[in-house]
Amino acid sequence: MSSSKTVTLFIQCLVDTIYPEVAQTMVQVFRRLGIGVTCPTDQTCCGQPAFNSGYRQSARVAAKHFIEVFADAEQIVCPSGSCVNMVRHHYASLFQNDSRWLQRAQNLAGRIYEFSEYLVDVLGVVDLGGRFDGKVTYHDSCHLLRGIGVQEQPRKLLRHVLGTELIEMHNSDYCCGFGGAFSVKYPDISNAMVSDKVKNIIDTGADAVVGCDMGCLMNIQGKLSRMGSSIKVMHIAQILAS
Amino acid sequence: MSKIATENYVAEARKAIKNRVLQEALADLQHRFGRATAESYRRLPEGPDLRLKAHDIRLQTIENLDIVLETLATNIRKNGGHVHFAEDRRSAVNYCLEVAHKHKVRQVVKGKSMVSEEIRLNEALVEAGIEVSETDLGEYIIQLAGETPSHIIAPAIHKTRNDIGSLFADKLDIPYDDDPPRLTWIARKALREKFLAADMGTSGCNIACAETGHITTVSNEGNIRMATTLPRVHIAIMGMERVAAGLEDHDILLRLLCRGAAAQHMATYVSYIGGPRSTGQIDGPQEFHLVILDNGRSRILADAEFREMLCCIRCAACLNVCPVYAKIGGHAYGYVYCGPVGAVVTPLLVGINRAKDLCQGETLCGACQDICPVNIDIPRMLLALRAKLAEGDSAWKVTPADRKEKFLLQVWSWVIRRRRLYDAALKLAAAGQKLFTHKDGVIRRLPPPMHGWTKGRDLRPLAKESFVQGWKKGIKIR
Amino acid sequence: MSTANQEEFINRIKMALGKPIATSQRDADLFKSAMSAETRAILERIKNRTPEERKNLLATLIEAAGPINLEVKSCEDLNSVSAGIVDLVRANDPEWGPKKSVAAWPHPLIENLGLPAALSQQDVNVFFTDLKETDAESIRRHVIDSYIGVTAADFCMADTATLVMRTRAGQARSVSLVPAIHVAVIELNQIIADLKELYALLKWDPQIKKEALTNCMTFISGPSKTADIEATMVHGAHGPREVHIFVVTAPD
Repeated sequence: MSSSKTVTLFIQCLVDTIYPEVAQTMVQVFRRLGIGVTCPTDQTCCGQPAFNSGYRQSARVAAKHFIEVFADAEQIVCPSGSCVNMVRHHYASLFQNDSRWLQRAQNLAGRIYEFSEYLVDVLGVVDLGGRFDGKVTYHDSCHLLRGIGVQEQPRKLLRHVLGTELIEMHNSDYCCGFGGAFSVKYPDISNAMVSDKVKNIIDTGADAVVGCDMGCLMNIQGKLSRMGSSIKVMHIAQILAS
Repeated sequence: MSKIATENYVAEARKAIKNRVLQEALADLQHRFGRATAESYRRLPEGPDLRLKAHDIRLQTIENLDIVLETLATNIRKNGGHVHFAEDRRSAVNYCLEVAHKHKVRQVVKGKSMVSEEIRLNEALVEAGIEVSETDLGEYIIQLAGETPSHIIAPAIHKTRNDIGSLFADKLDIPYDDDPPRLTWIARKALREKFLAADMGTSGCNIACAETGHITTVSNEGNIRMATTLPRVHIAIMGMERVAAGLEDHDILLRLLCRGAAAQHMATYVSYIGGPRSTGQIDGPQEFHLVILDNGRSRILADAEFREMLCCIRCAACLNVCPVYAKIGGHAYGYVYCGPVGAVVTPLLVGINRAKDLCQGETLCGACQDICPVNIDIPRMLLALRAKLAEGDSAWKVTPADRKEKFLLQVWSWVIRRRRLYDAALKLAAAGQKLFTHKDGVIRRLPPPMHGWTKGRDLRPLAKESFVQGWKKGIKIR
Repeated sequence: MSTANQEEFINRIKMALGKPIATSQRDADLFKSAMSAETRAILERIKNRTPEERKNLLATLIEAAGPINLEVKSCEDLNSVSAGIVDLVRANDPEWGPKKSVAAWPHPLIENLGLPAALSQQDVNVFFTDLKETDAESIRRHVIDSYIGVTAADFCMADTATLVMRTRAGQARSVSLVPAIHVAVIELNQIIADLKELYALLKWDPQIKKEALTNCMTFISGPSKTADIEATMVHGAHGPREVHIFVVTAPD
């Protein structure tokens, strides 16, 4: 299982600034697999927040910086499906009029992976030796599911976590209402959506909800916390490393 | 009956969220139709990728719309029908009024048609002293109630059987009843009189066939057949994009339309109508008119970024899976076209600045594209609309919606390239947040503009040290 | 009156598409002028359909009919069709008013049923929608007063249990629409598989394409229905509340 492989971490701004433990557990998992980890310390953001709000010029600046920072990385792994989707599917639209940057963006798109996708599809592992006693349910993040087509991989990984029982929630594939700036600009709608999501989580009787995107999980955790719920919210890296 | 109220998105959304009846009705609708439609695509003999082929067929038609529409008009006229090309709603309405006047029309029965709402045909007919009866059961209910539809296919979804029972008792002067079959029978009886007495029937058009010179109407109730068979005049109104070139295209498009609209393999009635009754025929209208409407569509056509939106066949599948629509209902969109399709079409028709909440008030989750029978990339177009709102656009006459935000993003883009500045900003924010963080380490209230988050949710504060900072220090991982 | 309108309208589209106003380009693919190999195969398949295959189509039709509340009955001959209709008349009451009356197409298949004689026992009138006999107004009134409408059909698509009816002199549209019960009588060999076969025949079969769609072609898949009230399915909205298809199976 061990190799002289090295992966490069793209940690996502939310993880970097609010949930560093998610990146720490990712590193733990790779170390368990005997895989080296590097982390470019100039990285900041892939540009998605600017892009989603329509500020393409600003997004382009962030994207160029991102492309530069990760220029030499052979395999980049990220704990967020939406960021990987941004790079794979939207960077091209930022560089339509610049063939040089377009080429660099397309090249980058072929080297970047979401964490669970990387473990299952690239490394071919499903059992990371994790353990969690209790029931878990899983939330399908929109850009992970529909953007990059990752659906089975996290479930495979969860089924191999010792002590857990995976229970599917009603409408696991429904948006949780985060949507980046949407959650702040359209708070009533966002709140209504996350309330539905949380109800579906609670209805499973699960002890924890797991996901692959801290945007969604931050949103869900915020709601559960406000409701005084003791349901744990975990990124898949955290449950795999446990 | 469609005035533009796109500015009320947030207020109407709030109302809808508090309306428990509506919430249950929408959740039920999505539970039934959303999943069933997806399943019906999986079961197609060609598999769900048939949608991609349908997309190509639609796009090819749109990109040759000049030829296709000329062919359609020529063939409709060969079949004995009249064709009027209406640049805008005024032209369409005036034509309909002229026809009604010429035939001394006093009563009209209407088949369901979004485009007739778009041109506010009812209003114009009523003003001219003509009685108009909606005949689709949902539209009939809405008309009696004096409201606007909240869903493209199920317009009265927001009403309970009790609501409808009371409404019928009040407006039709009959004893109260709230059993759906009996309510339906009451409407059947009331509308039968209208069908038999009407001078003119109007309809929309689902997908016309240029090659043969026919429009099609697709329904389950039979009201459109009644409205287009019994009265002596029939006017069909179509958005100019609602046409297929050839008959064989209909195989794919009709199968997908029925699945998208109601997860059916085939709707109860599909009528190909290509002209008035011919010699020796007993029924059918004496005159058939087709009104082809532009009303802003050519502008959409001219923009390669938005042209794809004209591929839409108005099945409303996207409404049946959209998590935002499920919360806010149809009225929040403030125009004829609601749901994901409305979020793109409405700004393009009524004004992007005016309808900015429709462009920005979604999460881009992508469920709409997945369920669309012709695979229209609605999220891509929402992003394009947001780009225009952010930076302005001369072709579409868009002014930047939020200059403060624009400036902030410019500052952001300056900081984002410089990790040290980024770290400094983080330090500032970490210090500032102490004002808002409770003893238990949770933020419960944030100041504007972030206060929306904490209205209903808590927030984890920024970590003491970012991961990158920790990494730089070489912190050992246990 | 509309030609100026039309020209302006179409020109606006051409400009939007970036096409020159002066010429109009032909896109050969748009209006398929040549039969594809697939279509040829479809027409061959229909032409060479065996009795066994036809029986299978009937089975498919019956299976598709179930979920949409459509009654399909296979009958060996016209006598048993006639008997079936007599039973329907006996078992059902008119929706509006007390008098039982049946409207029917003057079509060979229907005329050979001998309905007037068969129903005279119950004192039920059968009215043929034939302009040679009376005027359109009178026919219309009779159809409105009838509670059962009897028609033939052009085809029946098995996979969706859909009757395909074109419009001709004497074959009034309202007979399958206004009365509460619609009865259609078809022969086994009128059953085709699906939409693909239908459109292939309409466009490419030398005989059928002469008439093509006619000015009104209607697909009917079972009785009318609605789910507009609380998404509850109700059968019988504005169109017929019941549909019965009698399939006459030719002897082997």
